[in-house]
Amino acid sequence: MTDLSPSNMTRRCLLKNSAVGFGYLALSALLQAEARQAMGAPASELAHFPARAKRVIFLFMKGGPSHVDTFDYKPQLQKDDGKPLPFDKPRVQFAPTGNLLGSPWKFRQYGESGMYVSELFPHVAQHVDDMCFLHSVHGTNPSHGGALLKLHTGSDNFIRPSMGAWVNYGLGSENDNLPGFVTICPTFAHGGAKNWGSAFLPAEYQGIPLGVASQPSTAANVKYIDNPRWTKDVQRMQLDLMNAMNREHMAHAQSEPSLEARIQSFELAYRMQSKMPEAQDLSQETADTIEMYGLNDPVTQDFGRQCLLARRFAERGVRFIQVTHSDTKVQWDQHGDLKAGHTKNAAEVDRPIGALLGDLKRRGLLEDTLVLWGGEFGRTPTCQGSGANGRDHNPEGFTMWMAGGGVKPGYRHGATDQYGYYAQENKMHVHDLHATLLHLLGLDHERLTYRHAGRDFRLTDVHGLVHREILA
Amino acid sequence: MPTSTILPATTVLAAILLLVAIGTPALAAEPGAPSSQELAFFEAKIRPLLVAHCIDCHGAETQESSLRVDTMSGMLGGGESGAAVIPKDPKHSLLLAAVRYDNQHLKMPPDGKMSDGQIKLLQQWIEMGAPHPDQLASGGIQPRRAPIDLSEARKYWAFQPVQPPPVPPSDKKNPIDAFIGAALEKQGLTPNGPADRRTLIRRATFDLTGLPPTPDEVNVFLADDSPDAFAKVIDRLLASKSYGERWGRHWLDVVRYADSNGLDENQAFVDAWRYRNYVIDSLNEDKPFDQFVMEQVAGDLMAKESDAQEGYDSTIATGFLTLGPKVLAEKDIVKMEMDIIDEQIDTLGQAFLGLTIACARCHDHKFDPISTADYYALAGIFKSTKSMQSFATIAKYNEKVLATDEEIQRKEKLDKAKAEKQVELDKLLKESTQKFPDAKEEAYPDEVRKQLAALRQEIAALADQAPELPTAMAVQDATPESLRIHVRGSHLILGQKVPRGVPVILQQSEPLNISDGESGRLQLAQWLAHADNPLTARVAVNRVWRWHFGTGLVPSTDNFGKLGVAPTHPQLLDWLAQRFVAEGWSLKSLHRQIMLSETYQRSSLASADNGAIDPENQWYWRGNVQRLSAEALRDSLLQVSGQLDPTQGESMLSIDKWKLVFDHTSKDDTNYDTQRRSIYLPVIRNNLYDEFALFDFATADTTQGDRTTSTVAPQALFTLNSPLFLDAAENLAKRLHEQQPNDDRARIELLYQLTLSRSPQDHEVTRLLTTIDQLELALREQTDHNQAKLQAWAAACQCVLASNEFMYVQ
Repeated sequence: MTDLSPSNMTRRCLLKNSAVGFGYLALSALLQAEARQAMGAPASELAHFPARAKRVIFLFMKGGPSHVDTFDYKPQLQKDDGKPLPFDKPRVQFAPTGNLLGSPWKFRQYGESGMYVSELFPHVAQHVDDMCFLHSVHGTNPSHGGALLKLHTGSDNFIRPSMGAWVNYGLGSENDNLPGFVTICPTFAHGGAKNWGSAFLPAEYQGIPLGVASQPSTAANVKYIDNPRWTKDVQRMQLDLMNAMNREHMAHAQSEPSLEARIQSFELAYRMQSKMPEAQDLSQETADTIEMYGLNDPVTQDFGRQCLLARRFAERGVRFIQVTHSDTKVQWDQHGDLKAGHTKNAAEVDRPIGALLGDLKRRGLLEDTLVLWGGEFGRTPTCQGSGANGRDHNPEGFTMWMAGGGVKPGYRHGATDQYGYYAQENKMHVHDLHATLLHLLGLDHERLTYRHAGRDFRLTDVHGLVHREILA
Repeated sequence: MPTSTILPATTVLAAILLLVAIGTPALAAEPGAPSSQELAFFEAKIRPLLVAHCIDCHGAETQESSLRVDTMSGMLGGGESGAAVIPKDPKHSLLLAAVRYDNQHLKMPPDGKMSDGQIKLLQQWIEMGAPHPDQLASGGIQPRRAPIDLSEARKYWAFQPVQPPPVPPSDKKNPIDAFIGAALEKQGLTPNGPADRRTLIRRATFDLTGLPPTPDEVNVFLADDSPDAFAKVIDRLLASKSYGERWGRHWLDVVRYADSNGLDENQAFVDAWRYRNYVIDSLNEDKPFDQFVMEQVAGDLMAKESDAQEGYDSTIATGFLTLGPKVLAEKDIVKMEMDIIDEQIDTLGQAFLGLTIACARCHDHKFDPISTADYYALAGIFKSTKSMQSFATIAKYNEKVLATDEEIQRKEKLDKAKAEKQVELDKLLKESTQKFPDAKEEAYPDEVRKQLAALRQEIAALADQAPELPTAMAVQDATPESLRIHVRGSHLILGQKVPRGVPVILQQSEPLNISDGESGRLQLAQWLAHADNPLTARVAVNRVWRWHFGTGLVPSTDNFGKLGVAPTHPQLLDWLAQRFVAEGWSLKSLHRQIMLSETYQRSSLASADNGAIDPENQWYWRGNVQRLSAEALRDSLLQVSGQLDPTQGESMLSIDKWKLVFDHTSKDDTNYDTQRRSIYLPVIRNNLYDEFALFDFATADTTQGDRTTSTVAPQALFTLNSPLFLDAAENLAKRLHEQQPNDDRARIELLYQLTLSRSPQDHEVTRLLTTIDQLELALREQTDHNQAKLQAWAAACQCVLASNEFMYVQ
């Protein structure tokens, strides 16, 4: 006899196997919460306390932009250009560096808050009154790979879920037809898929990559979203045939909840094939918007498109959107030739990011969208390279910034020393950054856990301090 | 104000000091007890420091990190990081390390460093032997936290010796059925009858080979009336080389096999395939599992009969230890080495023992009786093992040349000759450019040109005679060295030294006998593979059970510790374990035992009564329905569409040794374009082959004996739109037309036999033919008549390949 009623399976088993979507499909919110609980999530889901932000856009600058040349103004560094650093360099360094190197860029104050920004970021600077500079971020690893993994997963030597996966796991998707976590043009180097992976969290929480850093963002698509052979009509006939076969198989075979889940997954995939292109269809944008994001300029069009896509995904309820700036050569990694490299990089991203901030604000999205900007580390105030005109990796203290999503606007948090080498005031470790980010989303980093291999894991491991000073 | 009670602390201390100073000499006479002068020093200099700076957080009221310093036992026992004070050992007393701010993770007091003078006092006190008035109390001082209570810990089931349990009385021939039957009866469950024979051969074939049975194989089995017909099928499957390709892959999950490093710098492991093929071959030859274990841990140290392939195999086997993901650009090279050792311990512990030993790197294991001392005892063995050529970034794994000394010498000689000729050539070229500065080489005099050509030819010939010798990722012994405990896992705070060895809880009466001159790896391997090791055989048979049934008797296959899941059938587990050892650790014999049981052969039909009692089938009243693994799915698609290339693969990486699979460019040059079985595809960490990543392939980063099965929409997208499915469907349609050019119904019969191992029912034929007609009509708008017909069949074939009946094994 066949009995497919839920009573014939445990609730856990049913719920476990009902997780077919990018988020969850066709289950009430209550069931979703129960499902997560069944898989080891905290009982207090969905959120632990009121959220200030509903979603995150993470603008990742691969390679390590120099904070002392962008957002962390150090007049003393300019004065002491060429002098030796008057205190010890870190025990572990990526490579030897020389004397202090003043910034080749001028800084000036912007907005009512009067925050300093260098001339590399004139467009972003227009929004300082909406931004919160985190001047005291520090990490633990001076190599790209370790630092990328630390920033994205909280660990530089163990395999852990990425922060986007944790957020997706904690909050789920707001859109049943789109993924809860997308990453646009990610880099495959230095951790690659680990940086958007779900590790031991269930697979549906991992980031869905759109394209890859080695391709232009015009090619940024979800893999296999298109069928190269069949029209939609043919596919519909296929689905109908499969459904008929699968329903019959299920009816006279055995009770196995994943069989039903799989039938539904095909319907969802079929819908996604139209929803995803719709979300990415920029033809619906006005000429002004296209111009504003820099899509008409060859310098800015690639990253501009990524930023505009990010806004469109944010509008559609995607929970965590990562945008990566990483060209195919050295990205922000100017061990030499700082001036040329940073000028090029900043020119590519400044205008699009400025546009994104303005656009989100204009549409009322900035209120509940948290924008996070930064690289895997900053750069040393001391010089490097044959021409002594570059800077080395510096995880000891660097600047990231946030905007929107319940952070204090026009605010500078923490500080590095007079040259920008070490974080000094209100030091914010990467774990603290994660704890604070989760807090802004209404999640308690100590309670957002997942049981795996006999232990409750967290994004922040056994660390993390919420920096309440930056909450609006 | 009352007169007697409140006095400033200093006054109290002064009073105590005075009391002590005027002496209780009798007490000082006890051996080891502190002298009165020493106690006076403590009271005058040390206690005030502790009171002022420490006891607010580490006193009677609050004990941050479980540490209190207001009692001597509190300091000796220490907190989460270990002993705060080790008398007479200032170097390893954490209290001192903390106040010195030596380590960024351990700086006390947190609100500001003590003065140098104060720190010096604390150091003096510890050097003195940390005299403390608590030592005067009767019984002396006991560390607050008792060491692990071993006799108590040994009572845990997994640490108990494997005892052959009595087989429950039963009319079943196979003891497995007797054990399972007894539990079913107890639960009030009635087991299903046997699955029908088509289902059975399909189940067994997928299970042992990862491929569907061919229609011929099904027919032979159906026609065989003999009582041992199914046993013959099992023997045939076990003898096929596909067996090793299926079960070898299971083992590769356990050892986190990959062809690239992953983690921070994705270095290509160009020789990893040798280890992979070693695993496949070992399983196919039914190598005794104890030997298999030993070779992987210490194959290089085991006695060899010859220098030939067998010797190479045991060298290649140690690739197990070098295959892990490593942080290769770690600038702190001591940390890099300790991270690599940690990864080795973690994998070894989970793979062979089902224990999460690596938890004890920073603190005693919170749940299992594994101390940090146990961890560093093992770590010493791996510290004494050379796994890396050097730690200079980007670091390179250790490798060994697979050649005899003669071959190596011959190669060296030829290389030398080649180099000499090269010098000659370079010299001649240089001279010629000086002599004929304006001429191209073609314009040189004949004699010179002839000389050049001859030299080049000689160099080429020498290069041909001395090709690169094959190499394997492999370890070897290094200078033996025991390690100190790394407090909180940090190499910057070192504690006591521990001799190399294995966790005390698992010692067989004596510690391992490791001489000063050896790493201890061989002893470790022998200990792992010893019949008396309570875990190795249990963990192994449980893995095999898991891969047959989809769940383990211990469902947490990689964790037999307290936080794992207790066995559902502990006696069956022990019976299987002792039988496994008794049968010479033969995996094939174990497969036969399991697959010939009624338990294995049950139908998977649902039953309302049983489902109400045991919905998850943990008592095995029915067969489990299992989805095809990523590899079985791809291999089956290739087989039924006639594309599968059955030859064994070697390396499929096209990249040079030490190069990165991904650098800054993010360009994926990995080639997956082959029709060989999936086990031969490159496993690229951080960027798995799409089909692997989507269909729950092993993580390839850590031991995974229990893959998950997810059902997510991107799988459906892949099924609908990927070249793998579309090409398989098209090739299958062509194959059907080739074999049955004229008869639609016969074609559908063949389709069902190939893909589902059964005949279609009438209504299924009708439904398919109707849909194919509709599809053809729709496709005719895009393409010509003949093409449309074939395409329509391809589209229909895709539906069968995408169907649940194809994807799930009953």
